[in-house]
Amino acid sequence: MKYTYLLFLTLFLFITGCNQSESDKKNDSEKIVIGISMLSMQNEFIVNISDEMQKKAEELGAELIIVDAERSPLKQIEQIESFIAQKVDVIILNPCEFEASSPAVTKALDANIPIVNVNSATKVQPTAFVGSNDVESGRIAMKFIAEKLGGKGNIVMIQGLNGQAAQIQREQGAKEIMEQFPGLVMIAQQTAEWDRAKSMDLMQNWIQSYGSKINAVFAHNDEMGLGAVKALQDAGMKDKVIVVSIDAIADALQAVKKGDLDATVFQDARKQGAGSIETAFKIARGQQFEKELLIPFKLLTKGDVDPYLKLN
Amino acid sequence: MHYINKLRQYGILIVFSIICLIISFISPQFLTVSNWTIIITQVSINAILAFGVTFVIITGGIDLSLGSIVAVAGVSAAMLAHPDSYPLLVPVFAGLFAGLLIGAFNGFIITKSKIAPFIVTLGTMTIGRGLALILSNGRPVSNLSDSFVFIGSGKILGIPVLIIILIIMFILCSVILNKTILGRYVYAVGGNEQAARASGINVSQVKIAVYSISGLLAGLAGILLTSRITTGQPNAGAGFELDAIAAVVIGGTSTTGGKGSMTGTLIGVLLIGVINNSLDLLNVTSYYQQVVMGIIIIGAVVLDSLNHKSNS
Amino acid sequence: MHAATEQILRVNRLSKSFFGIKALDNIHFDLKKGEVHALMGENGAGKSTFMKILIGLLKADSGSISFNSEQIENLDVHSIMQKCISMIHQEILMVPELTVAQNIFLGREIGRAYLLDDQAINQKAEDLLQSMGLNIKVRTKAKHLSIAEMQLIEIAKAVSHNARVIIMDEPSSALSEKEVEILFKIIRDLKNKGVSIIYISHKMEEIYKIADRITVLRDGKFIATKNTADLDKNSLISLMVGREIEELFSANSLAQPEVVLKVQNLHKKGKFSDINFEVHAGEVLGIAGLMGAGRTEIARAIFGLDRINSGNIILKGKKLTIRSPEDAIREGIGYVSEDRKTLGFIPELSVKQNISLSSILKYSKAWFIDNKKEQTATSKIAQELKIKASGLNQKVMNLSGGNQQKVVIARVLLASPFLIILDEPTRGIDIGAKHEIYKLIRQLTKGGLAVIMISSELPEILGMSNRILVLSKGKQKTILTQKEASQEKIMQYALH
Repeated sequence: MKYTYLLFLTLFLFITGCNQSESDKKNDSEKIVIGISMLSMQNEFIVNISDEMQKKAEELGAELIIVDAERSPLKQIEQIESFIAQKVDVIILNPCEFEASSPAVTKALDANIPIVNVNSATKVQPTAFVGSNDVESGRIAMKFIAEKLGGKGNIVMIQGLNGQAAQIQREQGAKEIMEQFPGLVMIAQQTAEWDRAKSMDLMQNWIQSYGSKINAVFAHNDEMGLGAVKALQDAGMKDKVIVVSIDAIADALQAVKKGDLDATVFQDARKQGAGSIETAFKIARGQQFEKELLIPFKLLTKGDVDPYLKLN
Repeated sequence: MHYINKLRQYGILIVFSIICLIISFISPQFLTVSNWTIIITQVSINAILAFGVTFVIITGGIDLSLGSIVAVAGVSAAMLAHPDSYPLLVPVFAGLFAGLLIGAFNGFIITKSKIAPFIVTLGTMTIGRGLALILSNGRPVSNLSDSFVFIGSGKILGIPVLIIILIIMFILCSVILNKTILGRYVYAVGGNEQAARASGINVSQVKIAVYSISGLLAGLAGILLTSRITTGQPNAGAGFELDAIAAVVIGGTSTTGGKGSMTGTLIGVLLIGVINNSLDLLNVTSYYQQVVMGIIIIGAVVLDSLNHKSNS
Repeated sequence: MHAATEQILRVNRLSKSFFGIKALDNIHFDLKKGEVHALMGENGAGKSTFMKILIGLLKADSGSISFNSEQIENLDVHSIMQKCISMIHQEILMVPELTVAQNIFLGREIGRAYLLDDQAINQKAEDLLQSMGLNIKVRTKAKHLSIAEMQLIEIAKAVSHNARVIIMDEPSSALSEKEVEILFKIIRDLKNKGVSIIYISHKMEEIYKIADRITVLRDGKFIATKNTADLDKNSLISLMVGREIEELFSANSLAQPEVVLKVQNLHKKGKFSDINFEVHAGEVLGIAGLMGAGRTEIARAIFGLDRINSGNIILKGKKLTIRSPEDAIREGIGYVSEDRKTLGFIPELSVKQNISLSSILKYSKAWFIDNKKEQTATSKIAQELKIKASGLNQKVMNLSGGNQQKVVIARVLLASPFLIILDEPTRGIDIGAKHEIYKLIRQLTKGGLAVIMISSELPEILGMSNRILVLSKGKQKTILTQKEASQEKIMQYALH
């Protein structure tokens, strides 16, 4: 028993000792520790962001703790709690959900740890936001379709997992544009859960029921866009239907180059990753930073994919 | 009375026919050759998984690792299927071998440790997913050779290769189950494991065999999926095991073992396919699709239990 | 004998059909207060259907049942249980993880405000068991009980329901002689308290010991109700089977000089030790002993279901290492278990598939089963054993107990063994099928097969065996020749 007390005592002294050595703002010589919780490391786009974060951190000399929330908001909150316990200098959050990941932000702010949201938003305002406005990507994609069709035609929309911020905002952007063009008709919309195989099945079924009535496809991400392209190709209809999707993943860029996919909207994972680390770094050093760093989207068609292909 | 028993025996076939009849009235595209080609192509992957797990379920076991095996096999095959790298047989063999290996591992652990199959395959499900991510570094493996892509989207004599493979596998599995010693032993072990052992059957061997078959077919399914969506994705196949098990159960195979048939499983698979297809044709949102599917699964099990009561 | 005159139960013109086939045809039956009334008939005579109707599990098509002059034929199970009619089922329905006390009071838990009062339950259960003269600890979990103990607990459960009528379906099938004595004592006590008992059994000895009257059913028809004292065994049998049958046990064949099985110093820790015997070709070696004496354990060890710690098993001069039933069957040993539901057959498989299960390799080419060969072989042996089924493709779960047993024996024989071990081969099967199995054993030994027969029924052991090995508490006490042996002698050694 005596030893147990002794052990607790040492432990206690150790912990409080640690606390005392901690200061609020790091000076330039001390290494900054950044805790990062990512949405899902099974997603290529997210992995790209995280790779870029590591590169940038190496350059700036910051230490990163990257964890994978595996799409679970609950897990994400727990991860943030453990970052708080570890007393990291800054937290970067790649939120799983708009509402459900908000408590994570609140907890960090309550613990006086600055938190930066990357790629998507939460309901609670973080210290800073680095990312792109998904509504904008929907607008860009639909504008392209409207131009190609001359403002008139039938469109089908393949949605992401219903209820996620990206799905809601991309749909919203697309519909905003459609209101400006009364000649555009949405004849069907359905989710394929971000999945290429599911999107392919869905497109095949639509081809069965609508056939040549379909003039354009808007898919909320490239995986689903490529699934739709495959189904259209198999049906021999690709040259009659326009397909546009979002993200500009490597496969999609290839497809745009070959002319299979008409356009993809480039969301700059690298700039988001690097930007979030830079912002976090500035906050930790007590320097000036932008509260909202928006990385613009860019529409990529056959003519302009080459430089982006090289990036991969 | 005799007819009523027959009715129950073929209950699922009748439900299937009635549903087809109703849909064909609502949707004129439903009963076309091209639509059925699509339905059968779309169900082929689930069918092959379901055939494999039918063996397992008849022995009274369960295999939850199917979806992960699909991913591991798909990624392994894709990595060896780049153009100008290896002849087609190499990636195909690699995918099948990966599936067989995990399946045999399942069987081995289940028989040696006497741990419930549910737990063991739950473990391999997680292990498999991890392996797929490790192999692929979390990124989809694309750029596949034309010959490899041909498996998933090519046609021979106007018939999609997927359908041909589906038919071959159905015949093969039916023959194994109905005409071979292994098939007889599978029913015996599921019907009464202790009596099977006392009858001189090497129960462990039978179990290792069925999990190996299940794994092998999941490997095949992984190859087909990869070829169909032209990319090997580490997160592919998530939840596939539940679709496959649902098809088996709808097809009248008892989850307590000892009873079931390949034909039943095939009808179960087709029923799921037809419902997905028709709800897409009718542009019903996926929310309702899920509700309908759940009702059908429960209905099938209720039908099966009625059947049990009438027998005893 | 208790003077019983008051009628408690009366059944008139009861009929029931399944799928157009009459299972019960105009049954008459009456039960007096405080009497033991035996219900006899071959399997399929309609006894279980009749009982299921009595306890409300099935509805009769026509006819009436009155209990204390109240019509009850339209009541459901629950209401009938409240009328104090209880049935002790052949299959035991106990929750293995609950204690004896909890099982007895299952569904009638004692407690306050949803909190169980285990103390009270245990106390009540203990009083109950003590009053019945049962020495079973009420805190034991049901899974640790022997089948016999479970059966006695089931009876205790019925008594605790204040049952006025208790139906016992083959209550002694799993009991040893000694336990049967306890059962009979309980039955006599119940009688004295005015409880009436319907006693279903195939065992003549018991019927004559305990029953006041006997009702015989045959093919769903009422044949007769007689006082036990007025009906001798042979006339009872002929009432049941509808014809006179020959003497139950015919003379056995002579043992041949060849030793088929030799067992030396067989030892399994905690089960049995120092077991030494030989079985000759054409001989029946009986193994007798009380329950738990190690009879079945020895059989299981020889057959590879359990491992032995030491000792030799020598078959036809060859020392065997048997690790599994697979090994045993390959070497030529067959085993018909006492527990045919668990170890005997696969209920969902057909008669044909069950019979060929142990020898399917013989009827296949490469990995494929040769349907024709399988059909020919199984139909031949099914005919020889007179298996009654609607066809070889009928599922075994739908057969009667006797026919299920024959299917198991057919499976074992089809693997062409040199030696078969029959563990309680006639338990729970009717007299006709029993007789056929005895004849079959004779036929097989004549053909040179060596047979080990384990049985709790002493007349059976005495009638069938050339020699009888008696076990007590895992030790081999003696081997008697048929001439030396008698019931008294066997019991003397068994109790030793």
